[in-house]
Formats: sequence, C-alpha cells, structure tokens
Amino acid sequence: MTQQVLLEVNELSCHFDVSKPWLNRMIEREPQRFLTAVDQVSFSVNRGETFALVGESGSGKSTIAKLIVDLIHPSSGDIRFDGQSLPNTRGEAFKTLRRRIQMIFQDPFASLNPRWRVGDIIAEPIHAFGLAKSQVEVTRTVEELLDKVGLAGRDRHKYPHEFSGGQRQRIAIARALSAQPDFLVCDEPTSALDVSVQAQILNLMRDLQDEFGLTYLFISHDLSVVKHMADRIGVLYLGSMVENSPSDQLFKQPAHPYTRMLLDAIPDHEMSGRRRKQVTGEIPSPIDPPSGCTFHPRCEFANAKCKQQRPAVHETQGSLVSCWASEEGRIATITG
Amino acid sequence: MTQALLSVRDLVVEFPKRKTRLTALDKVSFDIHPGEILGMVGESGAGKSLTGAAIIGLLEPPGHIASGEIWLKDQRIDQLPYDQMRRLRGKRIAMIFQDPLTSLNPILTIANQLIETIQTHLPLNDKEARARAIQLLDEVGIPAASKRIDDYPHQFSGGMRQRVVIALALAGEPELIIADEPTTALDVSVQAQIIDVLKRMCHVHKTAVMLVTHDMGVIAEACDRVAVMYAGRIAEIGEVRQIVKQPQHPYTQGLMGSIPSITERVERLTQIPGSMPRLDAIPTGCAFNPRCTQKIDRCTEDRPDLIATDQGQVSCWLYEGDKP
Ligand SMILES: Nc1ncnc2c1ncn2[C@@H]1O[C@H](COP(=O)(O)OP(=O)(O)OP(=O)(O)O)[C@@H](O)[C@H]1O
Ligand SMILES: Nc1ncnc2c1ncn2[C@@H]1O[C@H](COP(=O)(O)OP(=O)(O)O)[C@@H](O)[C@H]1O
Ligand code: SF4
Ligand code: SF4
Ligand SMILES: [Mg+2]
Ligand SMILES: [Mg+2]
Repeated sequence: MTQQVLLEVNELSCHFDVSKPWLNRMIEREPQRFLTAVDQVSFSVNRGETFALVGESGSGKSTIAKLIVDLIHPSSGDIRFDGQSLPNTRGEAFKTLRRRIQMIFQDPFASLNPRWRVGDIIAEPIHAFGLAKSQVEVTRTVEELLDKVGLAGRDRHKYPHEFSGGQRQRIAIARALSAQPDFLVCDEPTSALDVSVQAQILNLMRDLQDEFGLTYLFISHDLSVVKHMADRIGVLYLGSMVENSPSDQLFKQPAHPYTRMLLDAIPDHEMSGRRRKQVTGEIPSPIDPPSGCTFHPRCEFANAKCKQQRPAVHETQGSLVSCWASEEGRIATITG
Repeated sequence: MTQALLSVRDLVVEFPKRKTRLTALDKVSFDIHPGEILGMVGESGAGKSLTGAAIIGLLEPPGHIASGEIWLKDQRIDQLPYDQMRRLRGKRIAMIFQDPLTSLNPILTIANQLIETIQTHLPLNDKEARARAIQLLDEVGIPAASKRIDDYPHQFSGGMRQRVVIALALAGEPELIIADEPTTALDVSVQAQIIDVLKRMCHVHKTAVMLVTHDMGVIAEACDRVAVMYAGRIAEIGEVRQIVKQPQHPYTQGLMGSIPSITERVERLTQIPGSMPRLDAIPTGCAFNPRCTQKIDRCTEDRPDLIATDQGQVSCWLYEGDKP
C-alpha cells in the first residue's frame, strides 16, 4: 500500500540576510540583521488532497512554496516527499523527486518565456526529464496536454503574447503537467485573473486533480477561493503556522484569534447580512517581530504570558493551534 | 428625486487606428447622486478605467470622446478647454488610483504634499493649511496624525499610504471622487478599513463616488448602486442588492455564479464559456451573444439599449416589453 502522506514539512525555517553591505555596517557599527520569513513550520499533505496556505502579504506563503520546489534552501528543518528528504537528496534520485513536484506561479505573463513557441515551452520538461522517445511522441504529448487544458493542439505554434491571461495560465498548467508530476505547488494561480476567468481555471484544476490523482499545495490570500479548493488549510502569520485545520472546521469553528480576524474581514459579497468586522492594527515588521506570541499586539485575548512565551502547538477537534488562550480554554468557541 | 451630481449620456470613446477605429466605450450612460457610491464592475478591459479617465478629461491621445455628454450638475464638462478642466480636477472632481505610490511624491513629506494641495484649492495660510491637513489625516484614520504628518511616504505601510491618498483627494472638498481600484493592492484586512473610510467620507461630506473595482466583495460592501460593464458597454445597472441577489443580464448572472461562496461549497463554479472579445472583434448585435446561453434570434443582429425594468436597467432583449 502506498503511504497516505505525500509531502511532510518538519520544523522548516528560512532566514534572509537583510543586513546593509559589510562596509556600511562597519562604518555605522550596525549588527547583521536577519528576517525570519518562515519560522519552524510543520505540516503534511495527504495524497490526492489539496492543502492551502493562507495569510496576509508577507506572511511567508511564497517562501514556503519556493522552499518546496528547491528555488531556495531552508535555513533549518526538513521537507520529505514520498518518504525521502528533499534537502538531503542529490543526484539522479533528486532529479526524479524534482520532476514529481511542479509549480504554477501567480503571474502568467512573467512565467512563460516570451520568445519561445507554446509547443516548445510545454515540451521543455519532456526533454529535460527524457519523457519521450521521439519528436513525434513529444508533439503528440504536447497536443494532448493542450487539449486537456482546454486549448487547441494547433496553438502550439503560437507565442505566449497571443494569449489572454487565463489562456496563459492554462499553458503554464500544461507545462507543469508535461513533467508527469504527482504534486503541484500553486502560488496564487488565479490572483491575477478576473473572477469569471478564475472560475474556469479553478474548475480545470479540480478536473485535472481527479483525472491524474494530483496533490496540490494551493496558496491564496482569498479565503473564498481557498474554501472552494482546500481539504485542509494552514494559516500563516509572520512566518509561523498559527492554525492547521480541516477546511470545514476552520470556517465553522476557527480556533486561533488570527483566523477569526481573517474570517471576519472577508467582504460579504453574497450580501447574506454577515457583519464584516474592522481589523485592528497591521502586520508588524518581520525583521523585528513582537516577543512571545507574535500576534499579541493585535490580539484581544493577549495576556502577560502571551507577551513572553511563544505558544506551543496543541490539538483541539482535529485542529492544530498555536495559542495560549485556545489551549487554556479562554476563548469561547463560536458555533455557526 | 434630487438632481444627479454626475450625468453621463451616450458616451462614446474611440481610439483611431491606422485603418479603422476602435470603439472602447460605446454609448455608456449613468448618473451618480450626491452622497451616493456607484460601483463599476466588469472584467479587465471592459472599459471601467476609461470611463473614469473620460470624466476627468485624462484620456490618453489619440483616445478621445467621439460623442455623448458628461454633466457635472448644470455644467457640461466633456468639452471644457484644458485650463478649465485642470481647475476642475482636484477641486470639484478628485481621483484615487490603485497604487498609492503613483499619487504620492516620494521625496516630499506628507505635510508638504497635503498643504500644497489644500492651498491650491482653498484660501488658507500655512498655519491654517497645516491644521486642516492634520484634521484630514485624522479623519481618514491615521493615528497620531500631528506626529506622523512630517513623515515621508515610504515610512507608511500600504494601507496608511492609501489613507493619505484619500486625504489628498478630500483636500479640495470635491463633489465627486473617482476611485479606480483603490483597494486592489491591499490585503483584505486593510481593504475593509479603506472601504470604511470611503463610506464615511461619502456620508459625511455628501460626496458622490464612482468606485471602479473588479471585486464583488468591495461592491457589495461599499456601493448603493452598481453598473456592470462588458466590452465597453453597460450591461446592467441597479441597486447593489438586486444585482447580487437577482442579476438580470445573462452576463451578470454568469459573473455572480463564478464567484466562490464563503457560506457553501459547490462542486463546480458556474463558468461562462469563452472570453470577452477584443475591441477589434466585438460581435454585431449584443456584444455578449456568442457566450450567451439564452440568446434569441435578434441578439446577433440588433444591439439592445438599456431597457428600464422594475429592478433597474438592463441591455438585453429578454427584457423588452417588460417596462413597468
Ligand atoms: N529574497 C528575500 N530577501 C529578503 N527578504 C525576503 C526575500 N524573500 C522574501 N522575503 C521576506 O520574507 C517575508 C515572507 O515573504 P513571502 O514572499 O513568502 O510572503 P507571501 O506570504 O508570499 O506574501 P504575498 O501575499 O505578498 O505574496 C516577507 O517579509 C518578505 O519581505
Ligand atoms: N491608449 C489606449 N489605446 C488603445 N486602446 C486602449 C487604450 N487604453 C485602453 N484601451 C482599451 O480600452 C479598453 C478598456 O480599457 P480600460 O478602461 O482600461 O479597462 P478596465 O479598466 O475595465 O480594465 C481595453 O480594451 C483597452 O485595451
Ligand atoms: S497566544 Fe495569546 S496573543 Fe497569541 S493569539 Fe493566543 S491569546 Fe492571542
Ligand atoms: S441580448 Fe440576447 S445575447 Fe445579449 S444577453 Fe440578452 S439574451 Fe443574451
Ligand atoms: Mg507571495
Ligand atoms: Mg482599470
């Protein structure tokens, strides 16, 4: 039997050096400065499921995505894919693992080489990973993929600029699929698209997931999109995962005060009469984060302990939560 | 009913090209009343920003108003000489753009920029203008305004900068604010705060606001009425609740269904087949007809104008003869 967990992230951290140049530092007598973009994040993604990461701008979503696809290296921690450690695997074995994880970016304009024909863009992973025996097979595969994503086989002769934003995102998806992956990291794949085009792409992603048994790490700041797509959701705040819950649970009974704040801030586009609450304060600088629980300056439940001690992860009704008030039962559960 | 503050009538904006000309706005008509927020929705390229640019006389040449009229109360403003239009801008009509950084000068303090704008429009001395500037910052919710006023834009977060831009827009005490995607670059949490400021300002000063956005959440939250644009035309105008709950135009119906719901989870989102046509390929008859699942014979030949129904106005043949 295959293992149920496909991707496992353990205590993953990523620090960026944001110091001034060495000489300035010496003259101005400033210490080296680090920014903690990802702070000891752990989560796992089951095969065939969609795990979503949400959080405000700068919370570390894209950095986690880049760590998983090996665009940057972790400062510490481990990423295990199908039982093998990504940061510690090299050579041929790594190449195979890397093929199985592909990424789709937010900006369908920047992620496609404007000078290449669409057919060559999609064929590149096929060549790179040696997935076809002949040019005829490459062409056939490319045409099949274009068809799968809702474009025409003859579109392979065109250039990216001849397509709309939504169509370019379809091309990006076809390219990702050409590597025959089982895991797709999707960083805000529809944020640059209009809602009607977004609906087409989200439907397509669902269909492809069913057809190929794909597993998704889906990043978005739009909670209604996340609700539509995700089985489980991880909420990030200043690089830490403050809550990790099954999707239904998160929307019904958000456990962490920050999750509640995010949910309360969603605009009521259906005009159901739900009152949107004002958000207090703004996300602090990650270079100089608050002590203890980093959310404490904005939290209505914060007390002296919150300001000093970083909360540990505890489990409640299937949710993994890092919050003292939740652990101590100081927050009345809302049922809705 | 009170007199409309802004009246746009059959506005046509064209871009001449070598052999043809592109009609980017095609007979756009709507009104905004004092103290009212009118939302403009539609996908990118529908003509929302161009409508705003045409109103404040900032169309990029060779784009120009080919026909139609724009009235600000009793004054016709679509043919004003450059000088008069410039005086109108900032004073009677103010603009708020998506990216607060484009509206703020990075090398001047917030105080400098606000005081200068205030003095352009109001006869106040330095001290009075500074006091007014602090009052404005306070109104848009900048904490410790008297301390922060001497900061530079880069010392403010994105949300605070957008508040400053709103304060700048309010400086001339305008009658109309055109806000083009004012919250698109901001996080939802900050977005809520900015919408609140806009709503409060509109309410307190009886300013009319044209709020351009592609975000239905923002529309539902902020607007009184909405105009839905498609391919340079108005598909439908109505009370926001009507548009959200009972959209009439087939395009609006598709658009509403395509938004994922926060309250219930569906297997598939409603999907409108195809995409909005480019300006050089707008079909004859109803511009939406190739994508419409309800089309009838005449849709491919005759173009529907806005038809009044008991729920608002809709340009769709299905509602002909429905007049209340
Ligand atoms: N190369 C880098 N050097 C220094 N700091 C960085 C670098 N990349 C990211 N950061 C910082 O790390 C933090 C997390 O950034 P990240 O891009 O992961 O955020 P995000 O959650 O994806 O935000 P958004 O919603 O805006 O895309 C931010 O404070 C960002 O400024
Ligand atoms: N300077 C220009 N020259 C030619 N076409 C233009 C110009 N500016 C805008 N357009 C076209 O006019 C249409 C409407 O544009 P715009 O009002 O910016 O759309 P929106 O704000 O709704 O996204 C688009 O098809 C756009 O390509
Ligand atoms: S640990 Fe304390 S400050 Fe942090 S979220 Fe929980 S209650 Fe609020
Ligand atoms: S006029 Fe015809 S094609 Fe256009 S929206 Fe109405 S029914 Fe559809
Ligand atoms: Mg990001
Ligand atoms: Mg625009």
